[in-house]
Amino acid sequence: MSDQPTPGDTGKIFVLQERGVQDDPWPEREPPLDSDAAWPPFPTSQTHRPIRRWSVWKPVKTWLYMVGVLLMLFSATLLPPIAVAWWYDGHGVMWPFIEALGVALGIGLLCWGPLHRFRVELRNRDGFILVVAFWFLSSLLAALPFLLSETPQMRFVDAVFETVSGLTTTGATVLSGLDTMPKAILYYRAQLHFLGGIGIVVLAVALLPMLGIDGMQLYRASTPGPMKDEKLTPRITETAKNLWYIYVGLNLACFLAYWAAGMSPFDALCYSFTTIALGGLAPHDASIGHFQSPLFEWITIFFMLVAIVNFALYFLAWRARSLNVVFRDAEFRFGMQVVAGIVALASLHLYWNGGSLWASIHLGVFQGISIISGTGLVTAGYPTHDSWPAFIPLLLLLGSFFGGCVGSTCGGIKAIRFLLLYKQSVRESRLLVRPAAQIAVKLGDHPIPDQVMRAVWGFYYLYVFCYCAFSLGLVATGVDMVTAFGTVAACLNNMGVGLGDTAAGFGVLNDAATWMMSLAMLVGRLEIFPLLLLFLPDFWK
Amino acid sequence: MQDPSTGATQQEDSFHAEAESLALSEAPISQPEVTTKIWRIEHRRSPLKTALYMVGMLMILFSTTMLPPMLVAWWYDGPSVVLPFAEAMGAMLGLGVLFWLPVCRYKIDLRNRDGFAVVVLFWVSLSVIGALPFMLSANPHMRLVDAVFETISGLTTTGATVLSGLDTMPKAIVYYRAQLNFLGGMGIIVLAVALLPMLGVGGMQLYKAETPGPMKDEKLTPRITETAKNLWYIYVILNVLCTLSFWAVGMNFFDALCHSFATLALGGYSTHDASIGFFNSPAIELVAGFFSIVAAVNFALFFLAWRARSLKAIFRDAEFQFCMAVFGGIILTTCLYLYWSGKFPVWEAFHRGFFQAASVITDNGLGTIGYPADWPIFVPLLLLLGSFFGGCVGSTCGGIKAIRFLLLYKQSVREARLLIRPAAQIAVKVGDTPIPDRVMQAVWGFYYLYIFSYCFFSLALTATGVDLVTAFGSVAGCLNNMGIGLGETAVGFAPLNDTATWLLSLAMLIGRFEVFPLLLLFLPDFWK
Repeated sequence: MSDQPTPGDTGKIFVLQERGVQDDPWPEREPPLDSDAAWPPFPTSQTHRPIRRWSVWKPVKTWLYMVGVLLMLFSATLLPPIAVAWWYDGHGVMWPFIEALGVALGIGLLCWGPLHRFRVELRNRDGFILVVAFWFLSSLLAALPFLLSETPQMRFVDAVFETVSGLTTTGATVLSGLDTMPKAILYYRAQLHFLGGIGIVVLAVALLPMLGIDGMQLYRASTPGPMKDEKLTPRITETAKNLWYIYVGLNLACFLAYWAAGMSPFDALCYSFTTIALGGLAPHDASIGHFQSPLFEWITIFFMLVAIVNFALYFLAWRARSLNVVFRDAEFRFGMQVVAGIVALASLHLYWNGGSLWASIHLGVFQGISIISGTGLVTAGYPTHDSWPAFIPLLLLLGSFFGGCVGSTCGGIKAIRFLLLYKQSVRESRLLVRPAAQIAVKLGDHPIPDQVMRAVWGFYYLYVFCYCAFSLGLVATGVDMVTAFGTVAACLNNMGVGLGDTAAGFGVLNDAATWMMSLAMLVGRLEIFPLLLLFLPDFWK
Repeated sequence: MQDPSTGATQQEDSFHAEAESLALSEAPISQPEVTTKIWRIEHRRSPLKTALYMVGMLMILFSTTMLPPMLVAWWYDGPSVVLPFAEAMGAMLGLGVLFWLPVCRYKIDLRNRDGFAVVVLFWVSLSVIGALPFMLSANPHMRLVDAVFETISGLTTTGATVLSGLDTMPKAIVYYRAQLNFLGGMGIIVLAVALLPMLGVGGMQLYKAETPGPMKDEKLTPRITETAKNLWYIYVILNVLCTLSFWAVGMNFFDALCHSFATLALGGYSTHDASIGFFNSPAIELVAGFFSIVAAVNFALFFLAWRARSLKAIFRDAEFQFCMAVFGGIILTTCLYLYWSGKFPVWEAFHRGFFQAASVITDNGLGTIGYPADWPIFVPLLLLLGSFFGGCVGSTCGGIKAIRFLLLYKQSVREARLLIRPAAQIAVKVGDTPIPDRVMQAVWGFYYLYIFSYCFFSLALTATGVDLVTAFGSVAGCLNNMGIGLGETAVGFAPLNDTATWLLSLAMLIGRFEVFPLLLLFLPDFWK
């Protein structure tokens, strides 16, 4: 029996250790990879991993590599704004973007260059940190153009808030006087939505399920892409690619629709970005109400409804060449029913309060869907204008917790969780009446495993707790109660329309409150657990 | 089986025994002749008769509680104030006899399902008949909606009042309110410690094993009475201690009695408009705060401590520890913030902060000077959120209760840990006992419905025209059975319109029942 341990022969290592061999040249080997934990999406050695030494530099190298890649990708996204600035605004506006591009590209090359032959290997745990770090880093990086530009002159706290609001597709803005702002800045904000939107969809449909977040393994069975037992590496890229196609396709359709209806190409582009990403940052102060055009608003309504659906369903529908896939989905049905219910209630209340029938329906539907889905495009001076009774903002604010379907760019707790919570409560009540009954919670035909239910419950509890904690935090900084409740709802749900003092915009908040709200937007977008995990001692062991 | 009410013969007793073993409960009312076994097997139970029996008996018992207020009225106020109570007593007695007499030989056997209906029926009927003295009296002259609100507020130990000018009101009325708190507290103890665990509401089957009383496999009815008796002894003793404490620190006897009723029941009906702020005394506030916290402890623990002659039973309980930790945190934050914001100097910040925090988070609802209108907005909001916490289960507090938060918290931590190590075997434990999944699911279901109820009632209140802050505060005050509102309802609930008042009465009942019993009545399953 040889004393040399061979790969795959863990028993020998134990034998060595039992004999008390002091300097073990073979440290404990890494657990074998299974296909679901593989990362990243480019060629690495996957199946046969030799035992390697633990090195203190490896995490640092990994990080530098990823940061470098991120910076370079980001610098590429600065080219369109430069083009817009060159076309519309002139050289004065081009400089901030060029400077930002230079900085990002420079540092990116510096980080990535020496390591470009490095083989990146990440574990499950690293996936979480990666997701969180990417979002935080992007928020800081993408704030550069805002910081460097002269109109608008933004401080650090406001620049970061605006950037986070763009990337998380919240749509809350600290800026005013948008109608006279350089078009490059307006385009840049809309582009943040565009990038944030596709990032979110990929996150929700491909990444979070892989990391096992929140029982969205539920969707593993239905995510578009190769079969389950193939390696994940091609799987994520495949999935992401498909989603990207759908997303760009929808944006194109929306852009053409707006353009055909009468908007200028620039406006049509910005509004299509903001509508499909369910964002809300608009090139006008009065948002889409600036046009006072029902036609535009109905186009917006249509595309918001389209964007609220799980993008994975679209891919399945494409593959099956039939929309039945979408309409038969349990979450889709439930989501549409709830949205319809809330919208009907809002319209009724508007009508009952003295509006005309057509106006009530139109406003109720538009504003209802906009707020519930977390878009945040407003019309007719919502929510401060006198024509809106106080009941509607509260109803829609509560509706924004609902969001839309998972796997879309909406915010909030999302339809499927509410569906499961509701079914569980009904089951609870039934079991109280007949304690011995065997009732399972089912989605369509699949019974939901307990693990998923527990994850949903955990998420719901933490979400409500975060909402209360942030509200309390805001009140502690001196904000009044109504504003606090509305602002936190707007940011945590990635919705973007506040209440009270922040109804018109978030510029009035003090700095501490603004930082807290930036954090709230990220917490809401990341669905809490990744951020929470970083605080657990277990995680760092 | 003893059954004096039927006056059955020896022969019928054996048939009764057989009926028992076949799990039937119907007995012929006064037929001395023998009926066939087959007839008994097929004969169905009658929920209506059960309901009439129980409601009738309840009314008769409740009419006797009119005597102490009459005594107080005779002592302090005069015959004009005795009259409403006498009239109410007569009405209750009459109605009670009317309901009970036709079915007085009926044998009661409650099923699980009946338990829910009975609980709801009891509280609703008490709310209406208990409003009689308010409606019949000349000062204060109350309409139906206000009288019902006041009564429900008293019985559910909320403590929200629509009355003002309490200092000049007849002492009998003021005493009656405090007595409603007292009786409500007793009812809640039975509800929370005996009934709801039995019915498994909101995860409380957890407490089946721990309630003092007979073994688990005996019938519901004798178990409840035994448990209830033990707990009522403790309740009365605590009331005596509290009265003596208040008396010792400077209240007159009448005030001490009423405030002890209010404090121990965690109700909040004071004898003065300014509540505890009227006395402006640190000692009284400290005593009130202390007894609020005492009343927020599981009464079953008191019983266990009494039996074991040692307080360790209380201190070693996991829920108690968690509850005290949370209370300590909130009270500390309150006192610190009051001092730091410059509202009060050190000593005042401490005793006012301690009292107010203890009062609101245990859902007592006694107030001190200027709360909540004049205090920095952070504190009322913090305490409002804290009122959702309540206290330990098995006490007279409201809210979601400590054990549920403890389980929710542990579950969330477990979820987070499982994300890191998906294959780990982590169980949620309280103390040493692992919690069965069934209980966790019930707790989650309760939590979800509670939050949903809160949102629903807030929305409904806004729809009736109330502004946002008032709506949020009032619903929190009523759903959590706490009793202090916010905004327009900060001093009292009188400014609310009628629809809002009815909605809040409903909210108080839902909070007290822990949501499910009322919900069940709407399920078609329940009526099959």
